[in-house]
Amino acid sequence: MPDAERTLRKPTFNTLAREEAFRNPPKTGSTHSILNEFVAPHIESFNALFDDSGLPSGDGDGRGLISLGIADIGERVVFDGDGKVDNRGWGNRMRIWIESATIARPMVPDKDKHSSNRKVFPSEARERLTSYRGRMTIKLCWTDPHGQRHEMPKDCGLVPIMVRSVRCNLRGMSSAELVRKHEEPEEFGGYFVINGNERLIRYLILPRRNHVISLIRPTFANRGPSYTQYAVQIRCVRPDQTAVTNSLHYLSNGSAMLRFSWRKQEYVIPIMLVLKALVSASDKEIFEGVMMQDYENTFLTDRVELLLRSFKMFTLSTGDQCLEYLGDKFRVVLGTPEDWTNAAVGAWLIQKLVLVHLNNPRDKYRMLLFMLRKLYAAVSSSCCADNPDSPQHQEVLLPGSLYSMIIKERLEETLNQIRNTITIDVRNGVTVDFNDKKYFQKVLSKVSFDIGAKLSNFLATGNLVSPTGLDLQQASGFTIVAEKLNWQRYISHFRCIHRGAFFAELKTTTVRKLLPEAWGKLSMSRPHPRWIPCGLLNHLSRTCRIVTAPLTVAHIPSVLAAHGMTQSFTPSIDGRKNLCIQLDGRVIGWARPAVAAQLATNLRIWKTEGVNEIPLDLEIGLVAESRGGQYPGLFLFSTRARMMRPVKYLANGRDDQVGPFEQVYMDIACTPEEIEVGVSTHVEHNPTNFLSILANLTPFSDFNQSPRNIYQCQMGKQTMGTPSTALQHRTDNKLYRLQTGQSPVVRPALHNTYAMDSFPNGTNAVVAVISYTGYDMEDAMILNKSAHERGFAYGTVYKAQIIDLKDVPGASKAALPTLHFGLGRDIQRHGDKAHYCLDFVDVDGLPYIGTKLSAGDPLAAYIDDTTGRTRFVKYKGDEMALIDEVRLLGSDAGDSELQKIHITLRITRSPVIGDKFSSRHGQKGVCSQKWPAIDMPFSESGMQPDVIINPHAFPSRMTIGMLVESMAGKAGSMHGLAQDATPFKFTEEDTAIEYFGDQLLAAGYNYYGNEPMYSGITGQEFAADIYIGVVYYQRLRHMVLDKFQVRTTGPVDPVTRQPVKGRKRAGGIRFGEMERDALLAHGTSFLLQDRLMNCSDYSTAWVCRTCGSLISLGYEDISLGEVAMGASSALRPSGPGGEYCRVCRAAAEQQDERERQAMATGQAVPPPQADVRVAISSQHVLGRASKGGDLDIVAVPYVFRYLCAELASMGIAVSLAVT
Amino acid sequence: MSQQPNSNPPQTGRYGAGFVPPKEAMEYNCADCGATNEIKSREPIRCRECGHRIMYKKRTKRMVQFEAR
Repeated sequence: MPDAERTLRKPTFNTLAREEAFRNPPKTGSTHSILNEFVAPHIESFNALFDDSGLPSGDGDGRGLISLGIADIGERVVFDGDGKVDNRGWGNRMRIWIESATIARPMVPDKDKHSSNRKVFPSEARERLTSYRGRMTIKLCWTDPHGQRHEMPKDCGLVPIMVRSVRCNLRGMSSAELVRKHEEPEEFGGYFVINGNERLIRYLILPRRNHVISLIRPTFANRGPSYTQYAVQIRCVRPDQTAVTNSLHYLSNGSAMLRFSWRKQEYVIPIMLVLKALVSASDKEIFEGVMMQDYENTFLTDRVELLLRSFKMFTLSTGDQCLEYLGDKFRVVLGTPEDWTNAAVGAWLIQKLVLVHLNNPRDKYRMLLFMLRKLYAAVSSSCCADNPDSPQHQEVLLPGSLYSMIIKERLEETLNQIRNTITIDVRNGVTVDFNDKKYFQKVLSKVSFDIGAKLSNFLATGNLVSPTGLDLQQASGFTIVAEKLNWQRYISHFRCIHRGAFFAELKTTTVRKLLPEAWGKLSMSRPHPRWIPCGLLNHLSRTCRIVTAPLTVAHIPSVLAAHGMTQSFTPSIDGRKNLCIQLDGRVIGWARPAVAAQLATNLRIWKTEGVNEIPLDLEIGLVAESRGGQYPGLFLFSTRARMMRPVKYLANGRDDQVGPFEQVYMDIACTPEEIEVGVSTHVEHNPTNFLSILANLTPFSDFNQSPRNIYQCQMGKQTMGTPSTALQHRTDNKLYRLQTGQSPVVRPALHNTYAMDSFPNGTNAVVAVISYTGYDMEDAMILNKSAHERGFAYGTVYKAQIIDLKDVPGASKAALPTLHFGLGRDIQRHGDKAHYCLDFVDVDGLPYIGTKLSAGDPLAAYIDDTTGRTRFVKYKGDEMALIDEVRLLGSDAGDSELQKIHITLRITRSPVIGDKFSSRHGQKGVCSQKWPAIDMPFSESGMQPDVIINPHAFPSRMTIGMLVESMAGKAGSMHGLAQDATPFKFTEEDTAIEYFGDQLLAAGYNYYGNEPMYSGITGQEFAADIYIGVVYYQRLRHMVLDKFQVRTTGPVDPVTRQPVKGRKRAGGIRFGEMERDALLAHGTSFLLQDRLMNCSDYSTAWVCRTCGSLISLGYEDISLGEVAMGASSALRPSGPGGEYCRVCRAAAEQQDERERQAMATGQAVPPPQADVRVAISSQHVLGRASKGGDLDIVAVPYVFRYLCAELASMGIAVSLAVT
Repeated sequence: MSQQPNSNPPQTGRYGAGFVPPKEAMEYNCADCGATNEIKSREPIRCRECGHRIMYKKRTKRMVQFEAR
């Protein structure tokens, strides 16, 4: 190639640009901004907590979720009287409320006077194994009896802060600054640092907010008499993101009951009570409201009549009466101020628990009527039940929303605690003086304000400790550790979305289905049938966003009204001919179907073009009328937590954002070629947009059988790769690192977009598909020994060892530590008798960096003040390890001596036989041999494969993508090209084979990628051409060194004397009943005997031939060849070793005694004599009584002897017949 | 400034009253500013330059040699 032409060619691997970016990270912004985008929902939802979130304010006043929550908590009221009439009534009134709450950035404690930088950065929290927290303070206010307002700041402890959020000290830092702060140049945050671990709140699927869904569940009928399977349900969400679910149950008598829960307790009230209480509606008004002029519908008229009639028994006619009735019944549970009237309590109940997303009672009333109509429609089968497992009716629980819910609830609980403490004091007759500030202080000192500790506990365990349950279905499993096993696994944590722990226990599999509605939103992982959360744990697709900012939509009703919508307050609307129009669960009007369709189209055009200030993230769900389909209407959604994805709107060619609700009723073409005129409304920006980030990284995934692609997504996450570029500052328990990572020759375009080359995950290998050595059966693969020696797939494992002298046995719990790192006087330091530990441990008691350790070597030394002795911490692992780094960890304020160290151990892991490898096509295999290079086959150009795999890996698995990758890799290596492997780029006419075949031809290779090869052993050419090319290989973290389990002899269980189990304890692998069956069926009884007896708990035991007992052995103290004579000068029967059966001998002697007694009546008893020993072997004694002396040795499993002893303790004798 | 808690630790009779733990200053690197700090045993872990609370042990100056096989 001429030089001029060479300079023109643009580099495709971008090696130099990448090196430059690593050497000099950008001073402004980040190297790859896309990495910040995919965690945006985490960070923005956390930012939404604060008033200065930086998010648009939407229709609100820009207040954060905490401020909104505090406003919703309101005030608590206490009295210093006990309410009895004979005293002075309720006495003085005190109001207590929280005015504001602030959370500061993580700072060094005030105690510390030395730090030049008061800010604390996440890397310090990680390295010091502490939490990254900022101080929370609230302003607590109360009134004294004169109505004078007092306020007091209250410290609420340290609250964990999300990294890179608005309260994080890394906020807005450029890559260069991040690197200076010991972070990844691409650090995107989105997690919390808890005790040095990175933990994040996982997305959780929740029912879509503010939308009525109809449910048909047979279990509803079990709720009580006359309940049926029909119900409608709405999950109402307040502006502070707390939720209340309201259900409306249909009763077989035609009426309906409203169900809600308050503090985990469920309550049901007749819907009529609520309708009347809300707007004081007359029966006629309710009748007209439900009927909506559909008087011919006798089904409906009958039900509404029953509904109205059944309420007559309450004899409540006005709204005030209903409120009073409600207030009277609920006063006890609600905890409202005692001096409130029943009506006020009733109103409070309805405001706080019924359709809480709406403020106006009239809006609530209209919405309840809509729910009733939908319920009756579901009962009459004119509309179908909605599928709560469909993404259409789902949204996401955002981390920040959950966090704010917990904070709000904790704040509410502290107020309740203050109130309860005072009430109890009043009840117990303690002098309660509201004028006395000291008294109030005393009350506050009894109340726990440490919200930070509660939140830390929540994040550390994922357990929700909540008196209300927060309207969630689970109480645990909210947080996960973001493992930095490799980069792919790490980033996938931030995109995973869980259906909920509740559904994991469900026997039915319907919730696990990946429905077509989820197209473009969710991407499935791990289809393995044995995998428990299969289908419950999905990943967001690449382009899927979650709306986190509030939108401006207050003007939409008037805009729609101007374009033909009938306003909601219009008195008479024909329900048969009009569709309901709702905005975020509020009825804003009605329109004829054609008008509604026109309005939906208008809205879509406006929102894509920015006309009428319609926000782009508005979801326009037009459900057209259908026979027995979904309940029709025009449903607009503008709230947060919805999944949205970008597509192109064909009508004007603009970008559109599409949500899962509307997507069901849209026709989105995957590619421009697929557009059907008149049908398609949208087209995908990219046909690969429905794949998750990980799935997008599989090259030529459109050529593979689909399960193989999913296997690859799984294996990509188990690969030994590059977990981080800031490895020196990581303190993870275990890190896997591939030393020789490479940029893949064949990569999809998104590999570059997501900067995967910064974190290489594998090695390009020359792969020959040939059955050559015989060691490649069943997915085994052969590694070229020379490739291995050159460092192919060489890896390292970093393990952390934390030594905290506080946790060591013998540590004092007092303020001053009694254990100190160092070497004491008892360690001889010099001369020939120098202590052996000096090879490993420095004089400060810490190990030398670079020391090689094997099992049992000292890691650190510490002096115990109480004994004056030096003690050692030993290295526990059984592999050779090297000390990589030793960290001395100080205290928060930097004022205490060394008590805790963190040691990073480096364990080298060069590939060995038994290690697992895989290509990027779900083709995993285990290395079976490292074949010497001289014996490897070679091609005509002298190339040898690095890896040999068996041809049988392909036919059944149909991973054609791997074959194409092989060709593309070979051509790319020859031409120096990074090959684009984006799926859906080739067609039937323009095939990949042709494209890469031509490239191979140009490089002088065979068109199809196969070549003549020669045997490395004989030098003869193979009869067939061998398919050889370059494939990117991943080394998986499953390595034999972590898994092998083998023993000959070893530890046994002390009770059963059988080998223990468990690899860690050098135990064996259970030879179970199925294995036993196999040996039985095979007839290999000797093997069976060997496994189950000789190699397990073989033991010999004496068994009495007379009584069959195993447990009654006794020994006579005689030497061999003697017999003992008893007192009666009779020979005491015993075996040759003096063994006898205690039971039988006792029985025999008793018998003798009895005979003697019988004879004693006539004869004199012979005088007692001492035992006489006669030198005759017991076998030769004639007339030998077989009573008690006839024992035999049998081989029995030791557990059987144990069983006999256990049974004996229960009074059960086991008798063995010995023949 | 110099708080040296426990400069006279509780003594046991075994080593007599004259037993004082050896105070050898060791050099460590600050994890934040990289400054070399001399810290004696039982002194607080804190950088003299920037007040940071993490120290790294320096790499040993002893010869480290493994048999390469």
